Formats: sequence, structure tokens, C-alpha cells
Amino acid sequence: MSSQITVRIDGVLCTATEGETIFEVAEANGKHIPSLCHMEGVSSAGSCRLCLVEVAGIDRLLPACTTPAQRGMAVTTTSDRLSSHRRLALELMFVERNHICAVCVSNGHCELQALAQSLGVTHVRYPYNSPRLSVDVSHPRFVLDHNRCILCSRCVRVCDEIEGAHVWDIGGRGIGSRVVADLDRPWGESQACTACGKCVQVCPTGALVEKGYAVEEMTRSKAAIARLAVKKGATP
Amino acid sequence: MQSAASQRLQTFDQAFVDSVIAERTGRPGALLGILQKVQEHQPAQYLPTEVLEYIAAKTATPLSRIYGVVTFYALFSLAPQGKNSVCICRGTACHTRGSRDLLEQAMMRLGLQQDQDGETESLSVTTPDGLTTLRTVACFGQCALAPVVEVNHTIFGHMNERSLQKALETLDLGGPLS
Repeated sequence: MSSQITVRIDGVLCTATEGETIFEVAEANGKHIPSLCHMEGVSSAGSCRLCLVEVAGIDRLLPACTTPAQRGMAVTTTSDRLSSHRRLALELMFVERNHICAVCVSNGHCELQALAQSLGVTHVRYPYNSPRLSVDVSHPRFVLDHNRCILCSRCVRVCDEIEGAHVWDIGGRGIGSRVVADLDRPWGESQACTACGKCVQVCPTGALVEKGYAVEEMTRSKAAIARLAVKKGATP
Repeated sequence: MQSAASQRLQTFDQAFVDSVIAERTGRPGALLGILQKVQEHQPAQYLPTEVLEYIAAKTATPLSRIYGVVTFYALFSLAPQGKNSVCICRGTACHTRGSRDLLEQAMMRLGLQQDQDGETESLSVTTPDGLTTLRTVACFGQCALAPVVEVNHTIFGHMNERSLQKALETLDLGGPLS
């Protein structure tokens, strides 16, 4: 069965259960690792690359949310190298689509914005892509704004694993990737959608929002999803 | 209602799709194989919406998952493809040896318009007469032969304007290329 192991995180010895990820061990021991795609209650995707950590003896950086903690591992969660990688990852997210906080319903409650502030990303070093993306307002209660999506796939996972509807998935590839409902239909026409709103609750940015909110008004509750996951026994 | 349902089913070979699904059910990664077999069997080598919906219902796969798979892999097409296929490699090695010029030449010869947004990452366009589909790929894995062009499943290496012209003349267009 699962046995207890010891790992060193930022020099501190931490006890962990075999199979736990570095991210989980760190959180349990009061170390916060930044992340935009990881979420309590659903599986990890390792897509945002913000939880990258250094592991002694391994040259490349590893995502904490998908790397299992191993006996005797020595993990570093903050360093100049990590900060510069995390800032770069954030900059590329800002460059890729149209993140304009001043007109966003999630302004002030946005995980992307908060992370950029905490990591000191005040500007980007690359030209903006400024893609022309659509906004799907076909759903009676919710809105999907591709301009603000960072493709973290939290909505995909929560809809599949907690709600069981699997309305969302990522269509396309590379720079052309988009969150799609069913066969890339308007959200409002989705046969599978139960209008439960879980995807809206977990969105880290202003990509999935409830209708009827003005700038800065949209708040969310991720904790409710974690509780639901526990009740369903779906916690991975 | 009945007639509408049966009419819908006529757009693809339901018995064939059923047999492909039955053959692969339970195998890991079955979806990819099912989609590939079904597309090969379709007259215009593509996956119409009705087929995707049918496969989704039959295999209890979410529609969005199927759409994700179909749009991720370049080999699947959601639009009818021509009976001729021309595929130009736009990988790094082929690019440095002039594959952009070959692509432009092929588009001109086939009477195709370049996208307004300029060059997209991957391209798949079919001529208005539905005879020829022109695609680009990121790499054929034949970089020593760069630039590489595939015409009707034959791979041509070291292509230039003249040899591409010759290769394009072998296309079955139901008449000479003007």
C-alpha cells in the first residue's frame, strides 16, 4: 500500500504519502506554488507551466502539479530561474489573446491578473498577437469570451469529472486551439450542457462569466467545487 | 420523424460504421482508429457531422472530445476532400529550400486563393470544383530530400518549379490543366 516518504521542499523536510504530487505536498506543508490550471477537486493537466519547480539532480524544470513526490527528492519552489520562467509564461499568455483588465468583469478577481501582479509582470517584451476572436453569448445564463481564455482546461476537467457532462474540450491545435462546446456549436445549443455553471466558477480569468455582471463584479467560488468533489468521491 | 431519421442515416454507411465500432470497442485509443477507418470509407474522405454524432452516440463518447480529436490531427477533415491530393511540406528544411514559392505556385496553378490573414500554420483547401485538395504539413520527415511535395500519395523530393509543374500535370482533373 501507499507508504510514507520524506522529501525536502525549499530545504524543509516534509512528510508525504507516496503518489502525492509535489504540488500537493507543498500545499500541505504551507508552501504556495503559483498555478493557473491546477485546482483542488479535479485532475491535473500541467498546461499552464507556472508551477514549474527545480528538482536537485534534474536539469530541466518539472511541473509540480503532475510530478509525483519521490523519496529523497529535493525541490526548490522559488529561485531567480523559476521566477523568470514564470514571468515568461505569463507574458506569453498576455501576448496570445486580448487581456484587457480595464474592461473585464473579472478585474480584481482574476487569477491571471493577481499572479502577474505578484510576479511583477508590469509589461510584456513581445508584440501582442491581438487575434480577432468571437464572444459566445448564445447561452441564456453564461458567456464564453475566447479573448480572455488561457486554455487552462479547468472548465473541460470540471465538466467531465464533477458534472459528468463533458460539454467542453479543446479543439484545434497550437495557436489555433479553442475551447469548444460539443461539435464547436454555440454554447446555448449544446445538447450536453446542464447549465450548472461549474465551468464558470472555476475559470481563472474572465473567459467564462455569468451574464448580468459589469466590470469588476464577477466573483467565483472554487471552494464549492472542491467540496463537491469530496462528496462525489471523485478527488483524484 | 421516421423518414427524417432514415434520411439522415443515408449520408453514411451505417452498417460499416457499426462494424468498425464493434471491432474496436474496448480497446484503448479506439476512437482514433474508428475515425480513421470511417473517414477512409467515406466517398469524399471526410467526416460529416452526422457521422461524428452517430459515433459519439454509439460509443458514448462526448461530442466535444471527438471534435477535439478530429481537429487536432491533421489527417482528419471536416470538409469534403478532392480525389487528388497535393501536400506541400512547410517544415524548416523545406522552407529554407523554397517551399513557400512551391506552395504559391501550386495555389496559382490550381486557382486557389491565399487566406486573407496571410499564411496560416497549416492549410487545407479544396478547389471549387471539388477535384483537388491542397494541404501543407509541418514535416514529412524527408528533410534530406527538401523541398518535398506529395502528389496523390507519391512523394517527390528536390522539387523545383519545373518538376512541380510536371507533377501537377499528372493530376486527374478530367481534362488538361489550362
